[in-house]
Amino acid sequence: MLSVVVPLYNEEENIPQLVTSIQEALVECPQWELVLVDDGSSDDTARVAAGIACTDARVRLVRLARNYGQTKAMQAGFDHARGEVVVTMDGDLQNDPADIPRLLAKLDEGYDLVAGYRLRRQDKLLTRKVPSWIANRLIAWMTGVRIRDNGCSLKAYRRSLISQLHLYSDMHRFLPALAAATAAARIVEIPVQHHARRFGRSKYGLSRVAKILADLMTITMITSFRERPLGLFGTAAAGSVAAGAVVLYLWLRSLALYRVEPEGAYVLPAVVLLLVALAVYLVMLGLVAEVTVRSATQEEQDTMRRPLRGLAS
Amino acid sequence: MTIPVLSPPDHELRVTPSDAPPEISIVVLVGERPVPLVELFEEYSAPLRAAKRTFEFVFVAQPHFRKLLAPLQALIDQHESITLLEAGQSVADAALLRMALTTCRGGIIVTLPAYRQVEADAIDALIQRVEQGTDFVVARRWPRRDAIINRLQNRILRIAIEPLAQGRLHDVACSVRAMRREVLTEIPLYGDSMRFLPLVALFNGFSVEELPCRQHQGDMHGRIYGPGVYLRRLIDVLGLFFLLRFTEKPLRFFGLIGSAFALSGGVLLLWLLIERIGGEAIGGRPLLILGVLLFTVGIQAVALGLIGEMIVHFNVSRRQSYRVREVISARRE
Repeated sequence: MLSVVVPLYNEEENIPQLVTSIQEALVECPQWELVLVDDGSSDDTARVAAGIACTDARVRLVRLARNYGQTKAMQAGFDHARGEVVVTMDGDLQNDPADIPRLLAKLDEGYDLVAGYRLRRQDKLLTRKVPSWIANRLIAWMTGVRIRDNGCSLKAYRRSLISQLHLYSDMHRFLPALAAATAAARIVEIPVQHHARRFGRSKYGLSRVAKILADLMTITMITSFRERPLGLFGTAAAGSVAAGAVVLYLWLRSLALYRVEPEGAYVLPAVVLLLVALAVYLVMLGLVAEVTVRSATQEEQDTMRRPLRGLAS
Repeated sequence: MTIPVLSPPDHELRVTPSDAPPEISIVVLVGERPVPLVELFEEYSAPLRAAKRTFEFVFVAQPHFRKLLAPLQALIDQHESITLLEAGQSVADAALLRMALTTCRGGIIVTLPAYRQVEADAIDALIQRVEQGTDFVVARRWPRRDAIINRLQNRILRIAIEPLAQGRLHDVACSVRAMRREVLTEIPLYGDSMRFLPLVALFNGFSVEELPCRQHQGDMHGRIYGPGVYLRRLIDVLGLFFLLRFTEKPLRFFGLIGSAFALSGGVLLLWLLIERIGGEAIGGRPLLILGVLLFTVGIQAVALGLIGEMIVHFNVSRRQSYRVREVISARRE
C-alpha cells in the first residue's frame, strides 16, 4: 500500500483541490491512503479536512493537540501511515501529485529515499531562492550528502527507512542527510514540478537563518561524528593545543631576542594556559559524548532492528 | 542525579480496602504552612459529598509534618476513603506527588496544598470543567483581595513567565488544580516543575484553563520568604525557559551565547592583529588575554551545546514527542 502524508498548517483554501489532485494522480494506484496532519491550525483547516476524511474512506485526518511545527507533524504522519511506501508533500499545492508515480517508479529501482528537486522554482528570488541555494550548498558540503533541494517536501520513502528515522526539532530540512547517517539509506533525486502559491501565505521568513546554521552544525556532527564524537572534540582540542604551541614559541623567541617589559611578561604564558585549558575541557566533553553514544547504542542493540535490505536481491 | 529515598509502601499508615475506584482523587501535599488536616478534609470534602461524587483523599507528608497525619486515623476508622503517605526523607513537592500517584485511582486528580488557598466550593467547579473536556483546570485567585506584598510577588512572577504564558495564565502560584490523570502520567514530574505545571502542560499540548475562584480569608495575610527562596524561584524560571523552549534544540541556546562570546573575542583579536600589522607590539597587552578568554568561553559554550544535541539525538527515539488530539476517519477502526 502507498501512504501519502501531508502536513497542514492553516491551509483551509488549499485542501479540497489538494485532495482532488491526489485522487486524480493515483487513479491507477491499486491501494493508497492519504494521511492529513493538522498541525494545530488556527483557521478552518481541521473542519475542512475532517469533512473530506468523513466522506472518503481512504483519507484520514490526524489532529495534533497544538502547533508543533512541520517536523513533528511529518513524524506524526509517518507514525500514522500504514503503507509500505510513504510519500510526503506540502499542503500548499506547490508540489504536484502528478509526480508521485514517477517517484514510486524510481523507488522500485532499489532506492530507500527518492527526493524531488524543484525544476523552475516559482518563488521570490532574493528571499527564497538565493538563501535556499546557499543553504543547500552548505548542507551538501558539510554533511557530504549531495542533495540539490533539501527544501522540497515531495519525497518517497520505504517503510524500512521511516521506522529508523526519528524527526525532532526542525530536522525535516536535513532529512536526506539524517537518513544517510542513521540508516545508511540509498538516496536519489529526480526533478519535479513546482507551482506558485495560490492561496494562503508562506510560513517561512528570512529569520530562520541563525536557526538553520545551528541545525547545520548539529547535523554535521551527527552525520560525520555520530559513531566517534571524540574525533570531533579531539580534533578541536588538538587545534587548540597547536595554537597554544605557536604562542609558546612566540613567547620563547621574544624572550630570547628582546628584553620583555615586566608588566607584559605574563600575557603570552596566560594565553598558552587558556588554550591548553580549552583543549582539556574539549577532551573531557568528548569523553562525555562517547559515553552518551555508548549507552544509547547499547540500548538500541537491546531492541535490535533489521537492516534496510537483506544481502540477497 | 540521585532520587531521594522514599519510604517503601509498608510505611503507609493505612490503605482503605480497594473496591471500585473513585471518580476523583484529591491529593493533599502536606508541605509548607499546614493547617489542621481533619478540618481541611471536612471542609473540602463537603462540596464533593453535596455533589454526590465518589472520591478519595491522599495525604502525602514531608517527614517534618508526619505528626499532622495522626488525627486523620480516626476518620479512616470511620471508613472515610483516606490514604496517608509520608516521605522517608525531605523531598521536592514533585516527589511527593509521584508518591501519591502510585496509590491514587481516580480518573480526575485534584491537587491541594495543606492550607486554604481558595474557598472549598471551588473544587467542584474545577472538577466540572475537567468533566466538560478540559485536560487541566487551574484555580485563579480572583478577584484578589490579598495583602499588597502577596499581590506584588504574584505580579512579578506573572511578568517573569509572561513570554511563555502569553496571557493564558495569571496565577501559577495557586496550587489548587484539577486535571485528567493523563496530565500527570505524561509529564515528567521532578524538582520544582510542579509549580509551573500549567505551563508545562500547555507546552505538552494539553488544554489548560483558568477558573476564577474566591480566595480564602486565610490566604490573604502577607508573606515574605527568605532570600534563598527567591533565588530558587529565579533559577526555576530560567530553567523553565530553557526546558520549554530548547529541550529539543540545545545548540540554538548555547550557540547563541557561545557565538556572542566568540564573536566579541574575535573582534578584539582582529583589532589587535590590525595594530600588530601597524607595527605595534601586542605580546604584552592584557587585551590579548581578554580576547583569547572570550573566544575560548564561546567555543566551550558551543561545544556544550553540541553535546546536548547529541544527547537529544540519541534519546529522541524513545518517546513520542507530540500529542494527538484525535484521528478522524470514515472507516471503522
